Amino acid sequence: MRVEMLSNTSSEALRAALPDIEVSDSELLRHMSFTFAVESISRVCSHQLVRHRVASFSQQSQRYIPIRRLRERVVVPPTVDGEAEDGYFSTVEAASESYEALVASGVSREDARFVLPNATETSLLLTIDGASLLHFFGLRCCYRAQWEIRELADRMLWAVRRCEPSLFKGAGPYCYQLGHCPEGRFSCDRMQEVAEKYSKETRG
Amino acid sequence: MRLDLLGWTSGIEALIATAMLTTTSGAQPSTLFKRFEGDEARVRGVVSKIEAQHGSVLEHNRLDWLLEASECEVLDLLLRWRYFNVSRLGGDRWLLSANLRTVVEYIGEVEDNLSKMLMESIMLVAPTLHDCIRRQQV
Repeated sequence: MRVEMLSNTSSEALRAALPDIEVSDSELLRHMSFTFAVESISRVCSHQLVRHRVASFSQQSQRYIPIRRLRERVVVPPTVDGEAEDGYFSTVEAASESYEALVASGVSREDARFVLPNATETSLLLTIDGASLLHFFGLRCCYRAQWEIRELADRMLWAVRRCEPSLFKGAGPYCYQLGHCPEGRFSCDRMQEVAEKYSKETRG
Repeated sequence: MRLDLLGWTSGIEALIATAMLTTTSGAQPSTLFKRFEGDEARVRGVVSKIEAQHGSVLEHNRLDWLLEASECEVLDLLLRWRYFNVSRLGGDRWLLSANLRTVVEYIGEVEDNLSKMLMESIMLVAPTLHDCIRRQQV
């Protein structure tokens, strides 16, 4: 996985343009946007990501971009190791062979892609406003979030903290933002550990 | 009604070109963006091929304006165009923001003073896109 913030609107520039007017951070965040290159995540992760429908996405298309060397283009979950890894890759190999055979027999890429696994890597451009980004961190930095999108949310958080440290100082999972866990009986009960992690200004 | 452009996402046309090629080229978006940054001719070449039905590539940005308008004018705008974002700064002064897709769609459907002022903003931040709109390509 690779995450890079490509561009954003600057709070400093906006505040400088409105010298006599007090605008709260929460109000300003609604008018700011952040654009990220999100690369080499699985289709599992991108399916979760696009559920944040207020964001804008431009994703690599499997209709237009052929999948080559699938074995090298899949995300492997950390729990898949040892014997499980052999089974995992034999399924990937089988999917790869089916895909290539279908394309070779004249089936269009848009139809051949139906046999590709959820593990297949994808990359995309993501743009989101500041307030929605804060909400995204609240949900997806949470220890209850799935590991890949949590890793993605963390990387995005460290990237925005570098350019807007003051606005995103309090950003992180909702327990860190609110001071209490909103997950009820599903709480991980690790608020202290979470607070230590997200109170660091940058990734340590 | 008066509109002053306060700020915008840097490298807007490079981002449009990056979005256009991310979906179809197979290159990574960060690689594409770095290729486009500072290469205006290359960016112009890609953005000038933009097509109306692919408006989502115009969403990777935001423009912020200081709007001076009455409550009625702002209410009228928001009721018709829900993708504009507005915060009241006091009196008849508002912080207005939107992405280029919203702006381009407004210009395409409404001919009024706001439309003219928004077009001036596009000319400043995305001149190639401005030319495309004038040729009625977008």
